[in-house]
Amino acid sequence: MKRSSGNRLIPPVIIRTLKNQPVIIALIAVFVMFSILYPDRFLSLLNFKTILRQFVTLTLFAMGPSIVVVTGSLDLSYVGIWMLGGVLVWLCMPVLGLFSILVILLLGVATGFLIGVIQAKAKIPSFILTLSLLVTYWGLTAKLAGGYPRIVRGFEFITAPLIPYIPTAFLWSIPIIFAAVFIMKYTRIGTYLYAIGSNEEGARLAGINVDKYKILAFTLSGLFTGIGSMILFQHLGGSTPVELKLNTLVWPLVAIVLGGTPLMGGSGGPQRTILGALTFTVFYRGVYLSPLHPYSIQLLVGLLLIVSITVSARGLKGVTIT
Amino acid sequence: MRMGIAMDDSLLEVKGVSKTFGGVVRALDDISLAARRNEIVGVVGENGAGKSTLMKILVGVYPPDKGELYHKGEKVPFPKDPKEAAKRGISIVYQEKGVIPWLKVYQFLFLGHEDKYVKFSILQTDKMKKHAAAILEELHVKCDAEAFMYELPLSTQKMVEIARAILSVRLESGEDGTTPIIILDEPTGPLNDEERRELFSDLLKMKKNASFFFISHIIPEVREFTDRVHVLRDGKLVANYDFSEEKIAEEDLFRAIVGRESSEYISKQEVKGVDRGAVGLTAKNMTKKGHYYDISFDLHKGECVGIFGPAGSGKSQIIRTIAGIMSFERGELIVKGHKLKASAPPHVRLRSGIGYFSGETGKELFFNWPIVKNISIVNMQKILGKFMPVINFNAERKMAQRIVHRLRIRTPSVNTDCYSLSGGNKQKVSVGKWVERKPDILLLDDPTIGIDVGAREDIYEVLSEMKKSGISMILVSDDPKEYSILCDRIMFVMDGRIQNVLGPDEFRKVVGI
Repeated sequence: MKRSSGNRLIPPVIIRTLKNQPVIIALIAVFVMFSILYPDRFLSLLNFKTILRQFVTLTLFAMGPSIVVVTGSLDLSYVGIWMLGGVLVWLCMPVLGLFSILVILLLGVATGFLIGVIQAKAKIPSFILTLSLLVTYWGLTAKLAGGYPRIVRGFEFITAPLIPYIPTAFLWSIPIIFAAVFIMKYTRIGTYLYAIGSNEEGARLAGINVDKYKILAFTLSGLFTGIGSMILFQHLGGSTPVELKLNTLVWPLVAIVLGGTPLMGGSGGPQRTILGALTFTVFYRGVYLSPLHPYSIQLLVGLLLIVSITVSARGLKGVTIT
Repeated sequence: MRMGIAMDDSLLEVKGVSKTFGGVVRALDDISLAARRNEIVGVVGENGAGKSTLMKILVGVYPPDKGELYHKGEKVPFPKDPKEAAKRGISIVYQEKGVIPWLKVYQFLFLGHEDKYVKFSILQTDKMKKHAAAILEELHVKCDAEAFMYELPLSTQKMVEIARAILSVRLESGEDGTTPIIILDEPTGPLNDEERRELFSDLLKMKKNASFFFISHIIPEVREFTDRVHVLRDGKLVANYDFSEEKIAEEDLFRAIVGRESSEYISKQEVKGVDRGAVGLTAKNMTKKGHYYDISFDLHKGECVGIFGPAGSGKSQIIRTIAGIMSFERGELIVKGHKLKASAPPHVRLRSGIGYFSGETGKELFFNWPIVKNISIVNMQKILGKFMPVINFNAERKMAQRIVHRLRIRTPSVNTDCYSLSGGNKQKVSVGKWVERKPDILLLDDPTIGIDVGAREDIYEVLSEMKKSGISMILVSDDPKEYSILCDRIMFVMDGRIQNVLGPDEFRKVVGI
């Protein structure tokens, strides 16, 4: 009796949300902490804009892979698609004009489908497969670009400011996020992908075509990465680098895992990834404003990844699919 | 009926143990029981009756809320962890996953106790092997200490596990001759009849070296092999029987466990004399070398055909082939007039109306999912919107509630995650999804393995109803009674060939039930 009356102070909706999305607590904690530590610089419009910008980058990179992680696999190809896609846009620009941006989308879908087929038929661990593909794309990017980044002009309209202080890329990302969450939460495809991540054998026995849905997961991942990369291409400066930066690869993973999607799959998904991305960005901006040396920041990010992987793996029981 | 145990011959005694979880669920209520030297004490009850909780208290996994523990008549505190329990002479062998298949027997026996065999930081494997062989000999476990665990038959694996439990007690408590008390948590779950008998004949020999708490659902084996039995129901001790005084009837034990009359085995009046409907499935000379040969039969609408035979007869392989988990080499499988490809996987089979249900819930359930999702997974078509392929959560919930109600699944809500359900209820969820899906043909692969009698009856009831509604079934089981309850025809399979086809009455006569 005492317990229930105590609980009545907080509406059950909030309790349920916090139980399903424990990262919200971390988000609030980090936000409050840095607001107190650096009230001027952290609570500034400029900082919020930067947070939004970085959040968009992370989210658009992480949206596709978080679909794959739900099935218990891993897709690291997103950075490769973005890099190679950028160079292909530069190559196709003289021929296709503004349509050349769609090459990124095509590349994404094709890559995803290819990974899916190889992974499903040859039964190779997706981590190694996508990592090798990433390295291949990286090499191809540097080769095609001739060794240095190629800037393409003409796509400024993608990120042309619409609302002050809100990056346009953020506006773009909203429908993308909704689409991903919708697929995972409200359709048969999403349910089956969760099923495969939760218990692949069980999914097979329940009459799910596991191979087909795995291929579909990778293709969806490629599709979302493709769409995201079209926006990121301009959002990150109208060119793509020819050098692979580890941060670009690792941060989206941190966002996925921190959001509460265990790498074994079966729960979590895009809706948690956005929270993970937001939490990570706020955290990163906070430590960035602090007097810490960049190396220490890197160290903190690494530790954060370790902690969140451990927590999300351990939390398999307490975590429900949402 | 409650017996007083003389202090001197009781080895371990618990008095007035109570345990409540989360301030609400009363798992154990004033339980007192004891084990004497060299006896097998049965602890039986339905799932959720409190057997496991009690045993976990004994090995120090949970602390009790109340109660006392006596060891050789001396009051001792309850152990705080399994290691401390082993020092008191108590050790447990869990139902599943205790064996590490790729270890050799001697490595497995001494796992975690290697420090006793280290000299100059080198493991003295020769000494370990010799000791292991001596221990196996002493405990009448017939196996080679250098064999790999996976090479042994299941029953021997279990015996090695028990030997390991005894050994851990000896190593932890010092060689002062404390008689070990070994808790066996449903040890016969994964075993077939033959392996079961094997295990028990070994256990009876081991009684010289240890006492056992034997947890089980299977009434005949409890009756046959234990010296005394305690019956738990809803956390209370409801009956004690001493078999040295009286051998009670199976029926009485059953009644004590479930607290209601055994509808025993529903069958008898039902089932028989059905009109045969159209042929739903035909197998023609199905062959897979090394497993089964020339399997031919027809399955009619609303009929249940059993494939009966000893372990290794090929019965499991046949049903798994029909389910699409295995492929066949020769012959034909025809469903509703269409030939099926030999290697078509389960999802293709399901499209032609074949559903597969295995009693191994670990295989089928999505443990981190709520009940509602576990049921909707094969019923997506029903809950998608008419115009858009979007899940209708309301319909999904209603469907799950219907199943929970119909199968009497004990759960606070349909949103409860499956891992927190008891074994029998998990099984019901697992079968429930097929109840809703209503496939044309349902394959039952040991549908009630390892669950208690009450849950079993509920599942039989719902399966019988499905059968009446025209769903055909094929059954494979280790329990002959199951065939006599559900089947209209029983094919007797041996060495991969159909030897004989029996009606239920003939079958009962043949197997003697």
